Amino acid sequence: MNRRRFLHRALPSLAALPSAAALLGSCDTRPRLNVYNWSDYVAPDTVSNFERPSGLRVRYGTYESNQEMLAQVLSGNSGWDIVFPSADFIGPMRDLGLLAPIRHDLLTNLDALDPAFRHPPWDPELAWSVPYMYGATGILYQRSLDPAPRAWADLWNPRLAGKITMLDDATEVFGACLKKLGYPLNSADPRELRAAAEEARKQKPLLRAYLNAEVRDQVIAGDVAAAQAWAVTAAQAIAAAPDRLVFAYPAEGFARFADNIAILRESRRVEAAHRWIDYLLRPAVAASIVEATRTATCNGSAYRLLPDALRSDAVLYPSAETLGRGEWFAPQSTAAQRLRDRLWTEMKSA
Amino acid sequence: MNRRRGIDRLRAWFLAPAAVLMLATLAIPLAIVAAYSFLSRGAYGGVEAPWTQENYTRLADPLYGGIFLRSAWISLIATAACLALGFPLALFIARSGPRKNLYLALVILPFWTSFLIRLYAWMFLLRDTGLVNTVLLSLGVIHAPLALLYNQGAVILGLVYGYLPFAVLPLYATLERQDPSLLDAAADLGATPARALARVTIPLAMPGILAASVLVFVPCVGTYIVSDLLGGSKTVLIGNLVQNQFTSSRDWPFGAAASMILIASAVAVLLTQRRSREELL
Amino acid sequence: MTGAWSRRALPLYAACAYLFLHLPLAILAIFSVNASRFTIWDGFSLHWYRAMFADRDLLEAAANSLIIAAAATVLATAIGTLAGYALWKKASAWLAGSLYLSLVTPEIVTGVSLLAFFQWIFRDLHLRLGMHTVILAHVSFSVAYVVLVIVARLRNFDPALEEAALDLGATEFGAFYRVTLPYLAPAIAAAAMLAFTVSIDDYVITSLVAGVDSRTLPMAIYAMARRGVNPVLNAVSTIVVAALGALILLSERLRAR
Repeated sequence: MNRRRFLHRALPSLAALPSAAALLGSCDTRPRLNVYNWSDYVAPDTVSNFERPSGLRVRYGTYESNQEMLAQVLSGNSGWDIVFPSADFIGPMRDLGLLAPIRHDLLTNLDALDPAFRHPPWDPELAWSVPYMYGATGILYQRSLDPAPRAWADLWNPRLAGKITMLDDATEVFGACLKKLGYPLNSADPRELRAAAEEARKQKPLLRAYLNAEVRDQVIAGDVAAAQAWAVTAAQAIAAAPDRLVFAYPAEGFARFADNIAILRESRRVEAAHRWIDYLLRPAVAASIVEATRTATCNGSAYRLLPDALRSDAVLYPSAETLGRGEWFAPQSTAAQRLRDRLWTEMKSA
Repeated sequence: MNRRRGIDRLRAWFLAPAAVLMLATLAIPLAIVAAYSFLSRGAYGGVEAPWTQENYTRLADPLYGGIFLRSAWISLIATAACLALGFPLALFIARSGPRKNLYLALVILPFWTSFLIRLYAWMFLLRDTGLVNTVLLSLGVIHAPLALLYNQGAVILGLVYGYLPFAVLPLYATLERQDPSLLDAAADLGATPARALARVTIPLAMPGILAASVLVFVPCVGTYIVSDLLGGSKTVLIGNLVQNQFTSSRDWPFGAAASMILIASAVAVLLTQRRSREELL
Repeated sequence: MTGAWSRRALPLYAACAYLFLHLPLAILAIFSVNASRFTIWDGFSLHWYRAMFADRDLLEAAANSLIIAAAATVLATAIGTLAGYALWKKASAWLAGSLYLSLVTPEIVTGVSLLAFFQWIFRDLHLRLGMHTVILAHVSFSVAYVVLVIVARLRNFDPALEEAALDLGATEFGAFYRVTLPYLAPAIAAAAMLAFTVSIDDYVITSLVAGVDSRTLPMAIYAMARRGVNPVLNAVSTIVVAALGALILLSERLRAR
């Protein structure tokens, strides 16, 4: 009898829990902005410094790859307002009707952008996106390695077996394989793509894992000897262990990327979204992000505010001659994209 | 007659919520997945006409057959290990007399805590710079760190560690229900404890053993977190394949086809293990 | 003597098994108070716990997990108890079969099927993934566990007791409410605990059907674990284990009373 009475009393109070929590949740009545960004791409105080003056409450989520972001956003109903797609995703996302147009009249800091990024090839009028940070893909490795891996081919070295990682991204891995074979980065030729997939398949037994930015802590800890990594990740790792780690821009050529801020068409808070973009374009804000996260900013005015040590960082801002070996990722045709996805699945499943 | 009708009516009302729930969250979603498995992939994801069998023919490729075999093999090893490790433990608890509940609670406790956290604990231990390697290196047993993580062995270890309580609980339930006087009878007839174990206890515990096997094998076959965290996304099992197709690769029809195969094997297990089903439900 | 051997070997084995089960978690707890972020002991420090409580998103994820688990537990226990009782009265092959199917279907398949279902109906309803979809998903896979526990308990229940109540003039529902339900009370509590655990720990299904504002603790833990070893994660793990451990001890106390 006692137990029954206990249950009698317990059940209603348990049922009250969710309603109480919902009430508590709705206490925070500030308008919201949902931002979905790459991990480690803002300074620790960037979000809070925006929330206070604007009166908005920012929900900040992170992802590790464009595909992860696209998978959520594709439904057209994801709940996010702002995303940060890479350059080669802007075109396809626009064609799929996922993006909202950028209103230049709402952005006062647009001129802070570096002239090189005012009319980028993927969005010449900046109608759908605003460039944020750029970088390249290269090899992050332990200084102690001899010979030093300075070309993609060096990541196929059996002596490094079990201590190599590649990015968990079809475009990046196939990009490295294509460059290793001397083909163009954005090849759509089925023959070349299959050859590249074959190279990736040959490399797989030598790999420790496929990791994106997660590899940073493992390289710092010494678990990984050489990793295909983004320059951003590398710069962060080198900052944590400057005497042990080196970043190389591979000799055969490499991929350049630029991440852009974009507003999703499903967003019902377009004005607030523009305010967020304008905030990120502020030179002081962009500079503080660079100092915290070691990224290469598309913001020219911010670049001028950086300390010399960062401005001359060879990892983030390599020489023009080095950059000349790089190619931008370009969007693929449907057929080529399908072939790449299929080859990737097959390669991973082997 | 009235009583029968009254009971039937009560029963219908009581069944209704569960029936509606199962219809909405099991039957219809699975039907949708079945439908998707016969559709084609949109340009960047999603599904669209035409209807096609292509996804299943793609799965017939020996490449994917390899994945299914690998998943089944790993699951078998993990199940066998769970049974072998779990049975003596369940036996101990069932025979421990007054402190039964305490010992049971000690098994349930790790089962209660987060599965993820327990996997993470092994990541922490097995890394090249993790505790196991640090201890072995400092003791001089090895001279270079062992690659304990990111391979199949780590995945199996993770599966066993994760699902061992799943095996212990049904085994304990069966063993606890066994009449101890049967063992007395065996002893009276001259059997040694070992013989009594082999000839009486274990055969009588068969339904529980089968139930435990099902409860461990099926989740292992469909596992995805363990191979993702401990396998370094190099060990691709069916669960990883399905997850991949529904997220980063955005080939929903192909993922749906793989899911159907996975469900078919689960249903096959259900149909062949009727005794274990009755044991559970 | 074989008897003595088994009397000593079995407890020894059990001790080793318990060590295997609990040691990794104990180690996490030890290193959660390690000042250094590496596996070398560098002194005692609560620094990682402070970092954990400073992480607003982490705390929000934990709150979401609790809310979802509470709601899902209440619903699943209610639905499951009624269904379990009904099944015990007279078997229903369809429902029992579908409950068992929901138990044996791999989580990833349940997750993607629910995702496909939600996306399909939401297209026209202009709803989106959120707490409600997660709660619904959790109720869906928890009900089978509840039914399991209830039916197991009912196997030892003598139907004659209900018959007697009916003979004495009770309605069918009255008989259930006054006779069977009190008998089921401990099982209901156990089933609720089970449903709670299953819900609060779920990652795979939740990660697929969660929306923007329904990030749960397992999702946060997974994101951290994927990035490698993180001492804040050690602190999180220790707190979660301690909290759930306290809960189970409390439930054992209540049950023993």
